[in-house]
Amino acid sequence: MASPAVVRTILRTPAALRPLLLRAPRAAYHEQHHDQATPYGDAERTILSHALAYVPAHGFTQEAITFGAKDAGYLDVSRNLFPKGTFDLVMYHLVTQRQGLKDRIQFPDETMGVGKKVRSLVIERLRANADAGVVWRWQEALGVMSLAENIPASLRELGLLSDEMWFLAGDTSVDGSWYTKRASLSGIYAATEVFQTTDQSTEFKDTEQFLDRRLEELRVTGSAVGNTMQWMGFQGGALMNMLRSKGVRI
Amino acid sequence: MASIASRTALAGPALPLKARIIPLAFQLQARSRNSNGAKRTLTFSAATPHDGVHPEHSSRPKKVLTKAQKQFLDSALRVNQAGELAATRIYTSQNPPIIKAHPHLRPLMKHMYDQEAGHFKTFNGLLAKHRIRPTAMYPVWYAASSLLGWSTGVMGREAAMACTEAVETEIGDHYNSQVRELLVWEKEAKDNGETLGPELEALLVDIRRIRDEELEHLDHAVEQDAKEANPYELLTGVIRAGCRGAIWVSERV
Ligand SMILES: [Fe+2]
Ligand SMILES: [Fe+2]
Repeated sequence: MASPAVVRTILRTPAALRPLLLRAPRAAYHEQHHDQATPYGDAERTILSHALAYVPAHGFTQEAITFGAKDAGYLDVSRNLFPKGTFDLVMYHLVTQRQGLKDRIQFPDETMGVGKKVRSLVIERLRANADAGVVWRWQEALGVMSLAENIPASLRELGLLSDEMWFLAGDTSVDGSWYTKRASLSGIYAATEVFQTTDQSTEFKDTEQFLDRRLEELRVTGSAVGNTMQWMGFQGGALMNMLRSKGVRI
Repeated sequence: MASIASRTALAGPALPLKARIIPLAFQLQARSRNSNGAKRTLTFSAATPHDGVHPEHSSRPKKVLTKAQKQFLDSALRVNQAGELAATRIYTSQNPPIIKAHPHLRPLMKHMYDQEAGHFKTFNGLLAKHRIRPTAMYPVWYAASSLLGWSTGVMGREAAMACTEAVETEIGDHYNSQVRELLVWEKEAKDNGETLGPELEALLVDIRRIRDEELEHLDHAVEQDAKEANPYELLTGVIRAGCRGAIWVSERV
């Protein structure tokens, strides 16, 4: 079985190139008050949500799905319903936690900056993993996610989570920084999530510190691409004005 | 599909080919489509009171968008934002040399810039609201449109106006195709006893208004001797091809 190494390789790609690996989240036109329609039917939802209860004890395994199906009153139909097996269970956890994030956190303090909100959102999302009791099983999940056939869907889901976090943080910029923001946050989130699986500290204090170091790196160096573009634009404009002031007709 | 059918029906046999590629003819054609659209809206609202079962506009259910329709909006609004980014960049780079050489054009250039800035703001707001990603080519369009504005500005008033004429011809056509598509949806909704809903109705109003303002820019450009630009055919041909290419790319990435 593949290891989380594949995911880590992607994370080690220079920030400027990650947008190429992380296909843009393709969530077309959200209507206002949009219903986040889950892609799951009733039977799938009932079985998978019951199955998640078995993950802390049995891991992201076919067994957990079988137990979940029994609890939900379905006898052994699970294999037909879930062609991707355990990956369906992992995805169910990811999708429902992404959609539930908005209900886990509120920002009553209007003066809070976007950066602080993003930090809170990442911590809250990681806390959801702890609450669901899947942290000690998460390396198995990363293993399933990094199988070649599952990588596109896993990265897409990571991109959607990152998009959701920027949205919940109240970021409304729709310029060239859109992609670098999402790629950077995807990378930081994924790295922090991997770190969390090895964290032995109480209340995941080490994970929070790891996250803060990654966010600090991003603040200092991460937006180099965007800054360079801005700098070039600024220099270009300054040069034009200087030449104009010298009477050059441009 | 419906849009392609209605598009050929409207654009096809109406005028001979030569007339269709001349912007002024296009402009007249666009206007007549516009009045067509307005008439449709009138009959639509006039029909409402006779609709005894659902006397209130708001009591009729809102049309549910199909996946294809959401994707249409997704890419249409993305292209619109990219186009308005380019328009604001063109005027920003064009204005200094033009106003320096022709100070009397300052109010006109400012008026057109202000309208473009308003359009850009409208689509920025819509992208953020509906969580649509901007085009991945954003920095490229930013640089290319700045360069286009600057070079036509330096070439002089006629070239700058020819640039506006070429861009607005393509953009006006582009907005028209979106208005036609939304009118098809409106008709579908009406046939099913539904409405477009407040968001799409507002979008239709916005796009029509913006389309009319673009055509106003086209008028100004022609009044300001866009046709005197030299080489006119080459300049407008290249710019129009560039616009179509940029629209094609932005629809996809
Ligand atoms: Fe415009
Ligand atoms: Fe315009």
